[in-house]
Amino acid sequence: MGDPFRRAESGTQLLARLEGRSALKNLEPYLFAEEGSPVHGDVIEFHGPEGTGKTEMLYHLVARCIIPKSGGGLEVKVMFIDTDYHFDMLRLVTILENRLAQRTEEIIKECLGRLFLVNCSSSTQLLLTLYSLENVFCTHPSLCLLILDSISAFYWIDRSNGGESLTLQEMNLKKCANFLGKLVSEHHLALFATTQMLMQKSANSAESFFPLKLTHETDTDYRPYLCKSWQQMVTHRIFFSKQCNSGNSKGFTVTSCHLKRNHVVKRSFSIAECGVQF
Amino acid sequence: MVVLRAGLCPGLTEEMIQLLRANSIQTVVDFVSSDLEDIAQKCSLSYKALVAVRRVLLAQFSAFPANGADLYEELKSSTAILPTGSTSLDQLLDSGLYTGEVTELMGAPGSGKTQVCLRIAASVSLGLKQHVLFLDSTGGFTASRLYQMLQAHAEEEEEQASSPGALQRIQVVRVFDIYEMLSALQELREHLSQQVVSSMGPLKIVVIDSVSAVIYPLLGGKQSEGLAIMMQLARELKTLAREFSLAVVVTNQVTRDSSTGPPKPALGRSWSFVPSTRVLLESKEVTLGKATTQRIASLAKSPRQPVGIQAELDIGSAVVTPTERL
Repeated sequence: MGDPFRRAESGTQLLARLEGRSALKNLEPYLFAEEGSPVHGDVIEFHGPEGTGKTEMLYHLVARCIIPKSGGGLEVKVMFIDTDYHFDMLRLVTILENRLAQRTEEIIKECLGRLFLVNCSSSTQLLLTLYSLENVFCTHPSLCLLILDSISAFYWIDRSNGGESLTLQEMNLKKCANFLGKLVSEHHLALFATTQMLMQKSANSAESFFPLKLTHETDTDYRPYLCKSWQQMVTHRIFFSKQCNSGNSKGFTVTSCHLKRNHVVKRSFSIAECGVQF
Repeated sequence: MVVLRAGLCPGLTEEMIQLLRANSIQTVVDFVSSDLEDIAQKCSLSYKALVAVRRVLLAQFSAFPANGADLYEELKSSTAILPTGSTSLDQLLDSGLYTGEVTELMGAPGSGKTQVCLRIAASVSLGLKQHVLFLDSTGGFTASRLYQMLQAHAEEEEEQASSPGALQRIQVVRVFDIYEMLSALQELREHLSQQVVSSMGPLKIVVIDSVSAVIYPLLGGKQSEGLAIMMQLARELKTLAREFSLAVVVTNQVTRDSSTGPPKPALGRSWSFVPSTRVLLESKEVTLGKATTQRIASLAKSPRQPVGIQAELDIGSAVVTPTERL
């Protein structure tokens, strides 16, 4: 591919790009079904209705990443693409303040310096932004994590803009998914993306998402509606839900599915001032 | 979907565009996502020139990532927390309405949504001396009730502030369908981006009472177009809130899954993701025929506070005339 940015890469940059991203161990072992940490190249989808803690879990991951090693974090950089326009910086700062031993303004700013944030307001802009991010990933070897909240944000608008043709409806998202795949594999990133539960499970879901033996364990009304290219990329899908009876202190549940190996694990967590707690 | 045209960016000539079109590359997206080496050969154009154009186009049309630390600095100076005029509601919302986000008040008819909206408008206009844009889609806005609230507020604060001045800072626009609402918001965006302060003054809050009244007629039937317009409105509200540091307050109806189920916001799943903060308003006791001014506000969604906390509020004991009870 005729890529203007890659050509400008030196040997040292190449090494930095491939070797520098190695530190996602212990990102959050509880989130994953078995090996305990996402491997570079993994695509993790968070799926659930509103108010079930998806974005809060993203803050948790961001905080884990940007806190310095001396403070128990991973000290890596994060790119956060906010298409829902609800990233709350003040909330992230509250979480950081609660987790850092020294909560000076300087340390907070040092942490936040490892976070890049970009807003996109249409699928076209998202696609063009992804293209332009390639350069950023080349020049920042410690950028390990790419977060997209959410990838379903433009679903209805794209669907209507595409008219009757499914190909046109899905065109931008498909291009985005393909390019995300390229970014993730070439730059050894881990991608976390949220999808909103916009639809109910269709009544006659002959094509069940789970293999039969797992259906009873998961019990979620999941209906894939985004384009095939995206569905095929996802390596882990994590379902979020919230218990109605608030008597339980751990009100939220994640059901984590490793899609390649069909492993499922269920865990509950709570959300406090200091963020997600398992 | 931006179509390539001469003058769109430096280096992109009419001649180039003709050649690109011949190879069915018409839009910016087509151009940046295609293989430039391939195009250079097919159109016999200079590869170097194509690369330069691609770089400029990307810079022009993509969103630019901001560093978290810079953004935090910026937010510290631009974020404001606006009082709602009710101490208990302020506490529920972690000291008030935050600029930069959409807050939803949901409740059944008569649960006090409009009253809370009027109270917010009065409080921001009188207390903060800031301008308010009130989009009324139900005809529920009552100037006389607002005036009462302003007077009550002024007495409480023992201010000499003139209520007429405060009334002038509240601009009311009546919009009875979604297209009128979108064009009112478009006008607002133009005003704000040109920084025209003549008629509007410093604006901190947009109140929409109600959002469900204009969206309901779009839903049902072959749904996807209606949903697309609804999401367009949602996007407009959220980007306005972010870009111009506005607090956006919307009201919504409630529905239930079954007759005994808990109330949930109307307008379906897609809308449920839109507001950052959601407050449920309910009458304290359901006694028919006996109107009470006591309401219970419960937090249904918040990025800051635990969900489920409640507060009591009094929507006002001012003289309620029959017309206002409607």
